Amino acid sequence: MTNFSMAVLTVQNITKKFPRVKALDNVSFEVPQGSVFGILGPNGSGKTTLLGIIMDVLKASEGQYLWNGEAGNAQQRRKVGTLLETPNFYHYLSAEKNLEIAAAIKGYPKDDIERVLKIVNLYERKDSSFSTFSLGMKQRLAIASTLLGNPSTLVFDEPTNGLDPAGIAEIRRLIKNLSEQGKTIIMASHILDEVEKVCSHVAILQKGVLKTSGTVSEVLANNEEDEQIIEISAANLDQLRELVTTFPGVNKISGNNGVLQIYCKNEITPESINRQCYSQNIILSHLSVRRKNLETRFLEITDENKPVL
Amino acid sequence: MWRLFKIEWMKIKSYVAFKFLFGGFLVLFILAFWTTAQQFMKQFSGKSIEEVVLKNLVGSPFVFPKVWQSAAWMGGLFFIIIGMLFIILIANEFQYKTHRQNIIDGWDRMDFIKAKLSVLLFFLLTSTALVFVSGLLIGLIYTPSGELGNIFEGSIYILYFMLMALVYLLVAFFTAIIIKRTGLSIVVYFGLVFVIDNLLWASLTLKGSQIGYFLPLESVDSLIPNPFTPKMLMKREVPDWSLIAAAVVYSILFLYTLRKHFKKIDL
Repeated sequence: MTNFSMAVLTVQNITKKFPRVKALDNVSFEVPQGSVFGILGPNGSGKTTLLGIIMDVLKASEGQYLWNGEAGNAQQRRKVGTLLETPNFYHYLSAEKNLEIAAAIKGYPKDDIERVLKIVNLYERKDSSFSTFSLGMKQRLAIASTLLGNPSTLVFDEPTNGLDPAGIAEIRRLIKNLSEQGKTIIMASHILDEVEKVCSHVAILQKGVLKTSGTVSEVLANNEEDEQIIEISAANLDQLRELVTTFPGVNKISGNNGVLQIYCKNEITPESINRQCYSQNIILSHLSVRRKNLETRFLEITDENKPVL
Repeated sequence: MWRLFKIEWMKIKSYVAFKFLFGGFLVLFILAFWTTAQQFMKQFSGKSIEEVVLKNLVGSPFVFPKVWQSAAWMGGLFFIIIGMLFIILIANEFQYKTHRQNIIDGWDRMDFIKAKLSVLLFFLLTSTALVFVSGLLIGLIYTPSGELGNIFEGSIYILYFMLMALVYLLVAFFTAIIIKRTGLSIVVYFGLVFVIDNLLWASLTLKGSQIGYFLPLESVDSLIPNPFTPKMLMKREVPDWSLIAAAVVYSILFLYTLRKHFKKIDL
């Protein structure tokens, strides 16, 4: 358990039932201060529902949440910059007027609008009405709105949605930048790569159930199995496979595109594999150790046929 | 409340539908009231037998004190425009999910309701002021100077207008919050105002019952009878105070239910 006072957000046993589906089932976790906390899950796993509940636009069926140790309320929300689901703005008002409304609700002066519009490169379009914006521009305006008043906590729901590759890189840089300033960032995403690249912590949701949560390295590490992946290749792949199967400590071999992936104990080193193959007259054309990435972990964790951890 | 209204004003002041419909209400009401008064006074200035008979039947709708009733009644005719505008302003928030954003940005759920009530108040005060000033001016123009007594006699109808506007706006508020879709809310609102309310009233009243006058919209409608309908054709026997009481009870009920509903729903 992390120190209670350090948690920016505490989610306790939250369950959300919709008429036909249980969108969240007894979900609990804590978001430590200063972390970039990724909520990862496929579409429909309950990410947005969870964020909706902690922002009071949805009501939990059971459970509660605390912001900085206090039951959530309007005052708390003013200090959190949030982008939930889609950019929601008055379509007939300009970017600037829309941000004036957001600033007025949050209780901040208008002075900050120029700064946040410049961060997302929309300052030149500040007088254009929201309805004329492209999806990417709408998304950027929504991100600008979250930055109003320079809040210490930010909540982003699929922040790179609708952005082109350059825009995606830009937003990731922005998130890294914000994190370096010591801000706490809570980010929902279905893009594994995105979470792995920017997050320090991750919670994995599947069908409303929290599968695991912790630091990214904790989640990546598979403590019970101490497993790693070594990739090898040789001219005669069948012969190689036959040989490797006899090695002690090899759990599983899978192969694609002329490369064998050996799931094996951490004791097995690339050198030992190389030496044993060489002694059997098999010359390796490829040898590499692959760190398990979040994608493999995610697929393992969300594989329903397999018990988790 | 003032702080909330300032934010609402930022939302609506440059909204085309707001300018068009609010302006439309002002212009249509003023034009209709003024031209009707002008035409009526021109036609009934004659001394023919029919005119005298008619005049005795309906009285003088544009002369003090009856001009207050006429102003209030005419205001009611056009007030449906404001009801529709109010629905658009609320349902748009749902349609574009800006109601969620307002709350995410730091409004309490009740702040949203209070903000909309501040707009309701704005419509209530501006339209009542308009009806009051119009009644006063037309009365001053057409009342023979020798007959100018206490000009504010009968101005209770202005307060009745205000009560009517309140109930119509609360019904609009309620419809928009429940239905959440702009187009459908308007259709349902018009259905309530023009069809359901009238059918229920007619079926009850034709049976000889007075209950029809206590329907939510009918209670306030009946407070301001049509100034051109001769008194002998009026079927209402229940006193004004009972209708006022009904309207107040309805208003409280609407507000209470709205508040309770909005506190617990998923937005």
